[in-house]
Amino acid sequence: MTRAKTAAQILPYIYAAGAIIIVWQAVVTFTNAHVALLPPPLLTAKTFIDLAISGQLFIHIGASLGRVVSAWILSVLVAVPLGLAIGRWRRVEKIVDPVIELFRPISPLAWIPLAILWFGIGESGKIFIIFIATFFPILLNTVAGVKGVDPVLIRAGQVLGCDTDRALFTKVILPAAMPTIVVGLRISFGTGWAAIIAAELVAARVGLGYLIADGMEILRSDLVLVGMITIGILGVLIDAAFRILNNRFAWGS
Amino acid sequence: MSNAPEADLNTKSISIRNIGVTFKSEASDAVEALCPIDLEIPAGEFVALVGPSGCGKSTLLNVLAGFIPPSVGTALVGDDKISKPDIDHGMVFQDYALFPWLNVLDNVAFGLERQGVGRDEREARALENLDLVGLKDFAGKRVHELSGGMKQRVAIARVFATDPSIILMDEPFGALDALTRRFLQHQLLAIWQRNRKTVVFVTHSVQEAVYLASRAIVMTARPGRIKLDQKIELAHPRDFSAADFRAYEKLIYDQLDEELAKTFNLEGSGGTFRD
Ligand SMILES: Nc1ncnc2c1ncn2[C@@H]1O[C@H](COP(=O)(O)OP(=O)(O)O)[C@@H](O)[C@H]1O
Ligand SMILES: [Mg+2]
Repeated sequence: MTRAKTAAQILPYIYAAGAIIIVWQAVVTFTNAHVALLPPPLLTAKTFIDLAISGQLFIHIGASLGRVVSAWILSVLVAVPLGLAIGRWRRVEKIVDPVIELFRPISPLAWIPLAILWFGIGESGKIFIIFIATFFPILLNTVAGVKGVDPVLIRAGQVLGCDTDRALFTKVILPAAMPTIVVGLRISFGTGWAAIIAAELVAARVGLGYLIADGMEILRSDLVLVGMITIGILGVLIDAAFRILNNRFAWGS
Repeated sequence: MSNAPEADLNTKSISIRNIGVTFKSEASDAVEALCPIDLEIPAGEFVALVGPSGCGKSTLLNVLAGFIPPSVGTALVGDDKISKPDIDHGMVFQDYALFPWLNVLDNVAFGLERQGVGRDEREARALENLDLVGLKDFAGKRVHELSGGMKQRVAIARVFATDPSIILMDEPFGALDALTRRFLQHQLLAIWQRNRKTVVFVTHSVQEAVYLASRAIVMTARPGRIKLDQKIELAHPRDFSAADFRAYEKLIYDQLDEELAKTFNLEGSGGTFRD
């Protein structure tokens, strides 16, 4: 990608950030908001820099990212094969689909009590909640990807020597479904990242969700805002990275 | 033409014995797509299959490819009963069916890899076959960078690369413009004359059938039966405008027109149709 193109893609984000800061400062100035309720941008920036210099911010980021990545990988390992099976075999779909449809509307938040009961307050409970949040986007996209494979490509694979289901899967179905699956991987990382707040409500001692919850407890809105801003920025960066991956698989156009 | 077939060529006969297909579904009534038909195709013959659309040509080809089981009857390639898709039974599809995630070379080498051919030989043979269709220089291109005609040439290179004993082609040039179509007919014929694979070629074009085939089969309207089984004894290259070429065309059209009339429910109106 050229430098000019990169700049053109980043600029809107810089404008947006500028606009947010201006509105934010205006609200603080005109409402005379108490610093514990809405700290001004400058103070928040200072807190941000302090946390970054002390390294604490990166510890929080690392903890949250670690949880999301583990849960997401776990999700990929379960949802992709399941999605392949559902997409390929009507019989599997008939059995599994109603179960999925029943679970899908239940927010990851609703799983918090059970997560605590089942896994206690350690890491596994948090990973479980993010797992729930990442699972469905991967599953649904994988199913859609497999179902969307042009049947003629499957036939072509069959007459070109893919004489087992396994060969057909690895040589034709999976690569053909890959662009759609990768979209699911991207979306799910986003939903998983958004779920860290919920996950880290479960007795966390570190993480961006913890930073936010703790900031509220000790009436430090600047900490809350730093947590929120970090989640936002990292969310955009991760999504951008996934889009590059997406483009590598977009052989269609 | 004097191209003598190569000595160790892989080509086999096809025996269609009482093959009939009826599609049954829960939703609607059973559809008889193909009346039980018998057809013996000796090894090395180029058979063109012509008939009104919906008469069961694709269905017959799908049975021969092993994609669908016949409701009755058996089909043999050589002495072996067709029961499932096989790399020895090549197929060329109307919409090319190239793998868009692979480049041109890897598309042509796909079947060779499945046959266990090593990397270097695979590439060499894929290039050789791309050369046959004049696309050697496009080996590294992505599929979506090619025109329709080029895609079908890649598909032809791909099917010949694995050296199957029979090749099934379902309206392979149906989506191409007339000029591209002529060019591809010419190329296909040149390749076929060298390796004499048994070809079953479905087409809507009577001219194409007479130009390419050593034998033309006209099918009736659905459920398909064999209406005309005509050897085409013309030397290659054939001349579209020659009188004997025209005579074959007329012979086939006369049979087809009757069936088209049935298809469009115009029997007795006395009209004829030309495409
Ligand atoms: N899977 C199927 N289920 C039900 N009917 C089918 C199916 N495939 C084809 N048919 C019907 O069988 C008939 C023959 O179809 P086909 O072999 O595709 O015709 P052609 O290739 O000669 O145009 C048509 O009437 C078509 O609608
Ligand atoms: Mg057809």
